[in-house]
Amino acid sequence: MKTDIVIAGYAETPIQYKSGRSAYDLAGEAMAALLEATGVDARDIDGLSVTAPLSESPNPFFAVYMTEALGLEPTWLNYGGNGGCSATGGVARAASAIRDGHCEVALVLSADAPSTAWRSNYGAYRSEFQDPPGVQGPPASFGLLMSRYRHQYGLKTEALGKIAITQREHALHNENAYQKFRTPITMTDYENSRVIADPLRLLDCVMFCDGANAFLVTTERRAKDMGLTRMVYPTAFAEVTNFAGRESLADITQTGFSVVAPKVYKQSGLTPKDIRMFHPYDDFTIAVMMCFEEFGFCKRGQGADFTLDTDISFRGSLPLNTGGGQISAGQPGLASGGLNLAEAVRQMFGDGGARQVENPRNALVTGIGVIPYARNWSVSAAMILEA
Amino acid sequence: MSEKSGRAIPRPSVYVDTAPFWQAAARGKLVLQYCKDTGRFQHYPRPVSIYTGSRNLEWREVSGKGEIYAYTVVRVPGPGLEGRLPLLVVTIQLDEGVRIIGNVLGAEPEELAIGRRVELTWDQLGEDVQYPAFRLV
Repeated sequence: MKTDIVIAGYAETPIQYKSGRSAYDLAGEAMAALLEATGVDARDIDGLSVTAPLSESPNPFFAVYMTEALGLEPTWLNYGGNGGCSATGGVARAASAIRDGHCEVALVLSADAPSTAWRSNYGAYRSEFQDPPGVQGPPASFGLLMSRYRHQYGLKTEALGKIAITQREHALHNENAYQKFRTPITMTDYENSRVIADPLRLLDCVMFCDGANAFLVTTERRAKDMGLTRMVYPTAFAEVTNFAGRESLADITQTGFSVVAPKVYKQSGLTPKDIRMFHPYDDFTIAVMMCFEEFGFCKRGQGADFTLDTDISFRGSLPLNTGGGQISAGQPGLASGGLNLAEAVRQMFGDGGARQVENPRNALVTGIGVIPYARNWSVSAAMILEA
Repeated sequence: MSEKSGRAIPRPSVYVDTAPFWQAAARGKLVLQYCKDTGRFQHYPRPVSIYTGSRNLEWREVSGKGEIYAYTVVRVPGPGLEGRLPLLVVTIQLDEGVRIIGNVLGAEPEELAIGRRVELTWDQLGEDVQYPAFRLV
C-alpha cells in the first residue's frame, strides 16, 4: 500500500557533546545539507515543522524565530511539543497539512543542544511532588519501571546487554555518531558499568548531546517534478499521549505502544513478520525490549528471550537501530526522535555504507516522549516507511 | 537539616492549590485529592478529576499504609541529593487505591522488595515542613 505523500530527503548533523553551538546553528547545518542533497530551492519550502528543544524552550516563539533564522516563509507552521515523537509526528502532521492544501513542500526539522545549554524548566507539579523524593530525571523513573518489569516477567541482564553491545557495534560504522562512543563494548563492560538507579546501568542509558536532523516531506508528484528520485512512503502513523493517564493503578509494563502498534499494522497491511528493520526510540535499553513485545515480535514478557534468540545486527533478520541508536550515537536532546527516523530513511535510500541492510524495503520507527509521574512514558508514536 | 542536605523546601500551590496537603503534612497527616463523583483518589494533585474532568474534588486523609509497587535505588549525585545516597525511591500503592512516589527511610537497599508492606513516616525538610515518606513494616 502506497500513499501520495513521500519523504524525499533527509539530512543529519554529526552528534557532538558540548558543541558550544545553538539549536539554530545546528538546524541551519541540517537544512543546508538537505538542500544540497536534494537540490531543492529553499524558496520552494512552504511548510515547516519544528521540534521544541530543551536548549531554547524559554522562548515560546522558537518556531517563528527559526523561520527567521533559516529565511523561510512557510504557509504552514507546526511546533512539535511531544519530545521524541516530534519528528515522526512532524512528518505525519506535514502529510495532513499537505493533503489539506496548507503547504506542498514541508521541512520537518529537529535541532537541540542541551549538552551546551539546558534551559528547560518543566514546572508544574514537579517541585512539590517529584523533586522532594529525589526523582529528578528519567533514570530514576526507568529504575522504577525496570523493577516492576522484573517482578512481573523477570529481567535478563544479558538481553539488555546484547541490545547495548549490538547498537554500539552499529555506531562504529556511523561517522555521525558521537566520536567517544565509537569504541566497542563487551558484555563484561556492560555488566561492570555503574548502576545509576537499580537495576539501570550506565550502559543502558542515553547521554544528552547536541545535533539536528531534517526531512523533506512532499507529494510524490511534486518530488518527481523537482527531479527527486529517492523517496520513501510513510504508509502508517499512530500516536497516543498520556496513555493510561486516567488510571491510578495502571500496569506500568503496558505502554501506549499497545494502542499504537495495532493501528500502524492495520494501516500498512503489514504484520510483525513483514518488518524488515526496526528503529525503536532507545532512551533506555528496557524501552527497546518492551517495544519488541508491544509491536508483536514476541509476547509480553518474552522480550529478553526474543532479543537473545534474534540476530538484531544490521546483517540479521531484524536489524535494530543500525546507526547505533541514541544510546550509542548520542541523544541530540529532543531532536532524538529524528535520529532513529534519519537512520531508517538512510537505509532505505541505500546510504547505509558499511552498515547497509540488505533489501531495506520497509522500516518501523518509534518515538517516546515525556516521563510522567509513576508511570512509563506519556507519548508513544510509531511510523512505518515503505519503499 | 535542609541546609545540610541542600534540599529545596517546596513552595506550595505552584501548580494547583495544595495548601491542604502541606497544612495536613505539618500535622503529620497525609491528605490526597479525592474525586467525590467516582469515590476515587488521585495523586499528584490536579485542577480537575482525572476520572471525570469535574472540579468536584476534596482532600481526604489516607492511612499511609500500602505496599511497594516499584522501587529503585538512586546512586548518582544530583541537586538536592547531597548526603542522601544511596536513596531508596519507591512507588507505593496505598490501600486506598492510589500510588505515590516517596522515599523509604531507615532501611537498606537489599530490604526493598515489591509487595513489601509499608507505613507512613515523615521526612523533615525544614522546621515546619515535612514530606511524606515510608518505612518498612
